[in-house]
Amino acid sequence: MAELITHSPILIIAIPLLAAFLTPLIGMASQKARNAFVVGSLVFVTFLVFALARDISFNGIHVYTLGAASPDLSIPTGFMVPVRIILEVDGMSAFFGIIWAIVSLAAAIYSLSHIASETGQTRFYTLLLLMVTGGFGMMFTGDLFNLFVFLEIASISGAALIAYRTKFADTQEGGFKYIVVSAIASLMVLFAIGLLYAQYNSLNIAYLAQVIQYTTLDKIALAMFLIAFAMKTGMVPLHLWFPDAYSVAPASITGMLVITSHACMYAAFRICFTLYGGVINAPVVGWIIIIFGLLTMFVGVTMAVYQKDVMRFMSYHAVSQLGYMWIGVGVGLAVLGNAELIATYGRDAMSGGIFHILNHAMYKPLLFFTGGALFHYTGTRDLTKMGGLAHKMKWTTILYIIGTLSISGIPPLNGFSSKILIYESVYQFHPILTITGIIVSILTLASFTKAFHSAFMGAELPEYKGGKEVPRSMIIGMVILAAGIVFVTLFPSLVVDWAIHPAADALIDQGAYINAVTGAIP
Amino acid sequence: MTFLLESGYAFWNPLIWIIVFIVIMIVVYFFRRRGQKGYKKDTDQARIFLCGEEVPEAGERHIRVGNIYWGFFETLKEYYNQILRPHTGIINDYILWFVAITAISVIVLLVAGLG
Repeated sequence: MAELITHSPILIIAIPLLAAFLTPLIGMASQKARNAFVVGSLVFVTFLVFALARDISFNGIHVYTLGAASPDLSIPTGFMVPVRIILEVDGMSAFFGIIWAIVSLAAAIYSLSHIASETGQTRFYTLLLLMVTGGFGMMFTGDLFNLFVFLEIASISGAALIAYRTKFADTQEGGFKYIVVSAIASLMVLFAIGLLYAQYNSLNIAYLAQVIQYTTLDKIALAMFLIAFAMKTGMVPLHLWFPDAYSVAPASITGMLVITSHACMYAAFRICFTLYGGVINAPVVGWIIIIFGLLTMFVGVTMAVYQKDVMRFMSYHAVSQLGYMWIGVGVGLAVLGNAELIATYGRDAMSGGIFHILNHAMYKPLLFFTGGALFHYTGTRDLTKMGGLAHKMKWTTILYIIGTLSISGIPPLNGFSSKILIYESVYQFHPILTITGIIVSILTLASFTKAFHSAFMGAELPEYKGGKEVPRSMIIGMVILAAGIVFVTLFPSLVVDWAIHPAADALIDQGAYINAVTGAIP
Repeated sequence: MTFLLESGYAFWNPLIWIIVFIVIMIVVYFFRRRGQKGYKKDTDQARIFLCGEEVPEAGERHIRVGNIYWGFFETLKEYYNQILRPHTGIINDYILWFVAITAISVIVLLVAGLG
């Protein structure tokens, strides 16, 4: 077991990658075996992620050096700097890894029925596993170039999955937009990496964090990193592609795409706090993030309430909720250089933002899955054509209500726990942040009530009388996420102490990340 | 205590809310039990009565999504006119926004570094 945990950082990336290439071979023999293999691989990866996270909580940061005689030998004998590819998993990486593992597993199970009538299912699962690989790689890598490579893997597989249902014209358009936006963002990231490499001759994040000078080129690189990752997360006003792409993908993939947005948010945090943490003009960058976060919250929700397409409606809400996370972490960044303010409210604001990422990772894919269930039942995403579906879709209705109450921050659901942490802490920084947050919450509840009434309430419509609730595997996929919501609702303190505070501390404590790789090397 | 979340200024305990919710449910159930016992499902008792008027079909009497919050959208018409304008659906426009925001961020970071 100890050996397994030692090698778990690379196994968590390698297993879905290997499984992706084996899936077509197994798919040639049997569809059932292929499905079992995909789900089994993800179950094992989820187990590994939890085991690694548990080990990190006891023993601290895991460093895994590829190609070294020993995985913890980050700097080869005779060298002063790390030269090999290094994976570095701290509390923040492990936190995102847990989210990615759970949502990927739920999405794979949900897909078993959701895409059962589609052709090319083997390709679908291969791409899904590649996307999982890309996500884990982004979260665990300690190397900037590998961050770019894994970003590309996640983006290309994501674009192909968005366009998977070729029978719909809008899926092709959505996939095209996603790949164009992703390619531009990736190129900007690559260019920024080039600027740093040209100056410091290294791609290792920990080493760069130690030597970075915050030159003019470093500032340009920072802006490129930040805006490229912000666009990938759907930050307003760079969100315009987001509903076009997310609303047309299969619902299971949309749920995963939300977490790839989180992965890009993770990358932005890693760049701001870890790479630039020692030299950054924290108040300026923090305020940039906060202003865009406010815009994201408000524009996202007001656009959502306007929508009549259930998946576009959900997509705009995903944009809006991301604003809470940007604000929470942005406030933490704005006061990063002030130990007193960090202790007073900065750490709580960051914890609230990170906690909201976890909650969002549960309720948003759940809501996308319920949107997918509505499409599965009615054959349309148009809310104006729906009504009275609660009569036949009892499970979907209950799960939608759970997701709705959670996203709207209604007590006692988990969304409230993270929102109250954000509200109370960011109020100390500036009251307008809390006021906007509360208004956005009210609009969120109002818009979900509108969608609930339109789709589920009312008399049973004649066109939907003969239908049946969605298949069991779709229900199971949704129940896994709802169970996560219930767990976090009941034990917020346990989750905050075990996962959220370590993640926030990992961002604040830049020295621990650097020392784990470079040790006492100057 | 694992149920208790301390925010630094206050605390939050979901267990209290759940207990309150259960108590309210019990009270609601108690009042419902005291309701009319003679109710029979799928009889004329359950039919909609509109003062003798003909009841429209289910699809016609369902309030659709386009009719909900009409006043809200009417009041904020100008806001929506402005906010919908950048949502062109054209990828070229999206990239233009990206270039503009990147340029502004670079300028802000460079100018902030001069002080």
